[in-house]
Amino acid sequence: VCLVAVCSSVPISDLLDRASQGSDKLHALSTIISQDLNSHFPPIGQEIMPRPSMCHTSSLQTPSDKQQTLQVSESDLLSLARSLLQAWSDPLLVLSASANTLHHPDQTSISNQIQELQLHSKSLGDGLDILSGKMGPAAQTISLLPFSGGNDIGQDRISQLINFNFLLSCFRRDSHKIDSFLKVLRCRATKAQPQMC
Amino acid sequence: FFTAHAKEKSYSPPEKTTQTRCRSPEKETFTCWWEPGSDGGLPTTYALYYRKENSETVYECPDYHTAGENSCFFNKNDTSIWVNYNISVVATNALGRAFSDPVDIDVVYIVEPNPPEKLTVVVMEDKGWPFLLVSWEPPHKADTRSGWITLIYELRVRLEEEEDDWEMHHAGQQKMFNIFSLRSGGEYLVEVRCKPDHGFWSEWSSTSYVKVPDYFHREKSMWIL
Repeated sequence: VCLVAVCSSVPISDLLDRASQGSDKLHALSTIISQDLNSHFPPIGQEIMPRPSMCHTSSLQTPSDKQQTLQVSESDLLSLARSLLQAWSDPLLVLSASANTLHHPDQTSISNQIQELQLHSKSLGDGLDILSGKMGPAAQTISLLPFSGGNDIGQDRISQLINFNFLLSCFRRDSHKIDSFLKVLRCRATKAQPQMC
Repeated sequence: FFTAHAKEKSYSPPEKTTQTRCRSPEKETFTCWWEPGSDGGLPTTYALYYRKENSETVYECPDYHTAGENSCFFNKNDTSIWVNYNISVVATNALGRAFSDPVDIDVVYIVEPNPPEKLTVVVMEDKGWPFLLVSWEPPHKADTRSGWITLIYELRVRLEEEEDDWEMHHAGQQKMFNIFSLRSGGEYLVEVRCKPDHGFWSEWSSTSYVKVPDYFHREKSMWIL
């Protein structure tokens, strides 16, 4: 729900600043969880883990270096960030549910951090919805990236760990993309205060 | 096996290289280094090969020179991000060759900027009390203006005579910082380093030296004035 007062009074640059703080946190959190997970990860797991091209979001065409990223229009950058974030609403539920039964010495802390990830992801999504409303119709386009992984991430403990780690590594890359796009947007919006960037 | 008896020296195929490590200073280029193993007593060449995620094509290192010995430099055109590079180094001599353990890297996870530049420290005065105005610039390679990389800074300050007694200060994204509570007549050393939003701390910058004037005398003289 977009409150008229909120939507009309807060400048886009402030909203982008808040959004990029949120995406920064999201990526940092996924990095911490990855490190926790990898502290007790079977060596064989790295070898048989699915390749990043198997991530459900890998079909989305995104820029692959600075030059390409800086050429993308503002509304397209926001649309990419929103498409990626929305693509994770279902798989984050799967991660959250399976974190409860993960066979890992840090299971409790991983589970709590996944909850936190979900909360941050939700509030960032709400923030980006407001932003896209302010940036015009082109920013509201969303590419649908359905998750076909199902609700179950594996029966035995090894495949459960591997699939969990794989999903998390996909999220980690996507959250880095989202964060990079939002930070470029933030700097474009604060051209009036170049000391910010 | 071929053995040279003349000097009772035996030759062998090279050992595999170790410790392949890679670093990107600005999220736009990167360099990988490796440690050679034994060369088996024979002239040995080293070649780095890489394969990018989603491609079967194997490429050889584009530039062995720019970053010095036992290294490979990837310029902007050879660097993609959000893509894994599978990297292997092959040591070859007349008797055979050895493959290093492969490493998988995504450039966005190996960012370590160069240290901040143009560090200046000036003694300023506020109501008769001196303070240090420290300012610096981001490493020139890092494109902070477009938002491609966001840097935060940390300072350390110590008195010349108090080695290893650094006082740390977090400056956030600011490129200047004031340091108060100085010792009268003290000689201070100041250094600064930076960290990208996601990545590793740079090394410390070069040191800036500054001497704080004997400010009790000054204060007195101002009092008299």
